[in-house]
Amino acid sequence: MDVLRVNGSERRYDPGEMPGTLSDLLQELSVEAATVVAEVDGVIIRREEFGRTPLTGGQSIELVKFMGGG
Amino acid sequence: MDKLTIADREFDSRLLVGTGKFSAPQVMARAVAASGAEIVTVALRRVDIDNPSDDTLREIDREKLLLLPNTSGARSADEAVRLSRLARAATGIDWVKLEVTPDPYYLLPDPVETLAAAETLVKEGFVVLPYINADPVLAKRLTDVGTATVMPLGSPIGSNQGLKTRAALEIIIEQSNVPVVVDAGLGLPSHAAEAMELGADAVLVNTAIATAADPVEMASAFKLAVEAGRRAYRSGPRAAKRSAEASSPLTGFLRE
Repeated sequence: MDVLRVNGSERRYDPGEMPGTLSDLLQELSVEAATVVAEVDGVIIRREEFGRTPLTGGQSIELVKFMGGG
Repeated sequence: MDKLTIADREFDSRLLVGTGKFSAPQVMARAVAASGAEIVTVALRRVDIDNPSDDTLREIDREKLLLLPNTSGARSADEAVRLSRLARAATGIDWVKLEVTPDPYYLLPDPVETLAAAETLVKEGFVVLPYINADPVLAKRLTDVGTATVMPLGSPIGSNQGLKTRAALEIIIEQSNVPVVVDAGLGLPSHAAEAMELGADAVLVNTAIATAADPVEMASAFKLAVEAGRRAYRSGPRAAKRSAEASSPLTGFLRE
């Protein structure tokens, strides 16, 4: 069982089922990449790099975006 | 109205508007348009994994408006710096409204953490607009490390109390060599006009517009108030007096 921690919640995957890259994860979550900034284990990943950023079990991923604020 | 210059950019409007608390994105967009604002603040938050398509900012025209990300939610310098870096990765621009508010009840900015974060961010090339209490010494310390503005509060965020810090704001405005943007607590257009009459370079308004029964009309009212206040300030207003001074001639009365 592989585990990714996404925005504080654990996501469990059977062997071989885990998304291979950050882009694959966004697709699985139906998150539009154009509106998102990502951090993998505390390191900011540029949008252009999403497709080239492999994921491995145990990683912690933050997906953030802009919202209304003062 | 004379132009506002922050860092290397010029703006026609002296009203900055926040995008939080609006009932719908369309209302927010119409209110922003009515306000004439050219700088709008936004917050950075986790994507809601269960509702990822929610995009409250889709109505904002990023070609016309400068998005100013804030670091709201940060309780320490480290958190504010982390949020700023994420925001820069998202916008591709270096501007950030720095706010560090550890206390959720009054949301007052932490001066020590704010100064520490500002120092780091300026070194990393950010244009830093720090939200601060109306503390003239802190304002000076921040501009010494290179912030682009200071943004002292009129009263606590979202409180609509107006300029409770008036005397300290006057000192900050007198001493500052960067634009002073009065942020937070402005509940009515008259509060915004008062800040501008004191010589503030700009004001930032969110709650008073967003939570009005008619946000678009209120945004328009704030626009007029900011212009009126600025023009009054530039006209050289005279000081208040204790006693009367007749406006009409004191000779030629009919009773003699």
